[in-house]
Amino acid sequence: MAPGTENLSAVLYGISDLRLEQREVKKPGDHDVLLRMGQVGICGSDVSYLTKGRIGDFIVKDPMVLGHEAAGTVVECGSKVTNLKCGDRVAIEPGVPCRRCDFCKGGRYNLCKKVFFCATPPDDGNLCQYYLHDADFCFKLPDHVTLEEGAFLEPLSVGVHAARRAGVTLGSRVLICGAGPIGLVSMMAARSMGATSICITDISESRLQFAKSQGADAVVLVKPGSDDKLLADAVEEQMGGVRPDITIECSGAESSIRLAILATESGGVVVLVGLGPPEVKVPMVDAAVREVDIRGIFRYANCYPLALNLIASGRVDVKPLITHRFSLTEAREAFETARTGAGGAVKVMINCEI
Amino acid sequence: MADCDNLSAVLHRALDLRLEQRPIPEPGPGEVLLRVLCVGICGSDVHYWNHGRTARFVVESPLVLGHETAAQVVRCGPDVSHLQPGTVVALEPGVPCRRCSLCRGGRYNLCPRMRFHATPPVDGTLTRYFVHPADFCFRLPDHMSAEDGALLEPLAVAVHSCRRARVGPQSRVLVTGAGPIGQVSVLVAKAMGATHICITDINEGRLQFARKLGADSAVCVAGMGVEEAAAAVVAAGGPPTAALECSGADSSLVTAIHAADAGCVIATVGRGSLEPLLPVPLLTAKEVEICGIFRYANCYPAALALLASGAVNARQLISHRFTLEEVEEAFQAAKSGVAIKVMIKVGEKS
Repeated sequence: MAPGTENLSAVLYGISDLRLEQREVKKPGDHDVLLRMGQVGICGSDVSYLTKGRIGDFIVKDPMVLGHEAAGTVVECGSKVTNLKCGDRVAIEPGVPCRRCDFCKGGRYNLCKKVFFCATPPDDGNLCQYYLHDADFCFKLPDHVTLEEGAFLEPLSVGVHAARRAGVTLGSRVLICGAGPIGLVSMMAARSMGATSICITDISESRLQFAKSQGADAVVLVKPGSDDKLLADAVEEQMGGVRPDITIECSGAESSIRLAILATESGGVVVLVGLGPPEVKVPMVDAAVREVDIRGIFRYANCYPLALNLIASGRVDVKPLITHRFSLTEAREAFETARTGAGGAVKVMINCEI
Repeated sequence: MADCDNLSAVLHRALDLRLEQRPIPEPGPGEVLLRVLCVGICGSDVHYWNHGRTARFVVESPLVLGHETAAQVVRCGPDVSHLQPGTVVALEPGVPCRRCSLCRGGRYNLCPRMRFHATPPVDGTLTRYFVHPADFCFRLPDHMSAEDGALLEPLAVAVHSCRRARVGPQSRVLVTGAGPIGQVSVLVAKAMGATHICITDINEGRLQFARKLGADSAVCVAGMGVEEAAAAVVAAGGPPTAALECSGADSSLVTAIHAADAGCVIATVGRGSLEPLLPVPLLTAKEVEICGIFRYANCYPAALALLASGAVNARQLISHRFTLEEVEEAFQAAKSGVAIKVMIKVGEKS
């Protein structure tokens, strides 16, 4: 790659301060590939960094490139790269762990304390034109899978990881709390992993209708101030008179976590994917006397291959979830749409091939 | 039978415990008639005695207390083959329905129609004679005492929680709360190979006892905030990979979440507030799991193996001994907080 090549990048300088500027294009190391970025989706966490400058203890202190749900095309390979060649279109798994700690060696590399993760401070993301990444965390897309679908592997992997950790299998009855993008991909993952009954809850009627169109067997509208026990009964009724044995909580809201636990069958599992306030009231006695397990979910590990298979085989179709498209030069508008959810936005996709 | 004495300790209402005669029952198919040898007292027995109820169960009619039992078979009902008169057994106190999906799935402790000794309205075992299904009676090897047999019950709780928390070699275990359940959890965690066991409590005496039982480190958390306590735990033995919450204090659960290594499993044995405030984002960022513990299922054989082999010496937990006639004093001792395990002798082997 010639020096001085354009690399327009979307850089977060501070709260509501997103700038498009040129950044250096680096040369790939032995195990890296240089990618011409293709499509990058926007996630709620990107929006949080833009609007609040932080998520928990991750604080934006220095300018940071946004974007982590991404796919691109290989333009240069490091000397030791064998799994990819120039021209390959790839999905990019954004978290590269240390490979040496016990978590990495044990396969739970999402818990590596030294992980590099795109667009989590202080690590730069890939909402730009050229980007360097470890080749083994890039997954070649078959010809019939688009770059947009490749970018969608990231949130789909969150759904796959949640469904796996929850133990979804053939015959599972799954309740999903929250019908945003994460609830939707969790539903798709659960269905493809064998769930035979899926109910989804949300506070928005239109989101629920969309969820139904994407395959939910049942939906339950949550009205503010509803009694959670009555809601749990409504879920049971909608699921044919049996309670779910697995619940995937995708909203992070206290009342939704409460519903998740109350609604789940004894001996079942609730996985918490959604991020909410720093302290949440949790109905622990009910969970404990009925042995309803509560498991935290953090990103994903070893999910990209399965997520890719789900899309490539046609078992999962994420295209209806891509509702808004912008180009890299329109990054600010793209984030505004993602932030407000205007026009029924589900997934906003940014095209970086400008 | 030589005598018709079936003296029983019956709770009529809170703090109204009476010794009364009750009819001696007949064993039906699959059941055995047992002569009770000894019964340990648990915090839940004390709670019923003190308050006449727990959050979920109310004593509405007279209830025989006691559920940690060792007994001797007197007579077998029809269809009992693995026990004979004279066999000394430990009793698993809960008999599930055997027909619901939870029972079929092996998680019979969660059976909605569970009949559990001394949980209203099911009578317990502080009585000379009673009847129990034979398959919930576990033969004690000759070298084990009746007191050992009665200790299988709390031991089973510890086996269940250690299993659910995946305690094993390489585990760094945090036990919060050094009451009887915390103490027995230390014994079982050690026997299951835990590399390091750190115990916390607000009472120095209890902590010292836990160290004697095998805890590798002890932290007195009296007056500490949760983050300070968590830091002390981590400094003592590293961030826990498994935690057994045995105190029933919300702060202990929160401390465990703060101290936890990524991937830690926290088993909650103690019961705290109905809806404690938990640091959920911390829980999710570390993929911590919280597994509630409700009694046990399929744990008696393992508990028996641990005691029979000598891997666990539970007898050192017994701090007070009384006879059935002294049951009122026994409960007073249990309530006082100075006792670890109170054992009541009800009968003799024949």
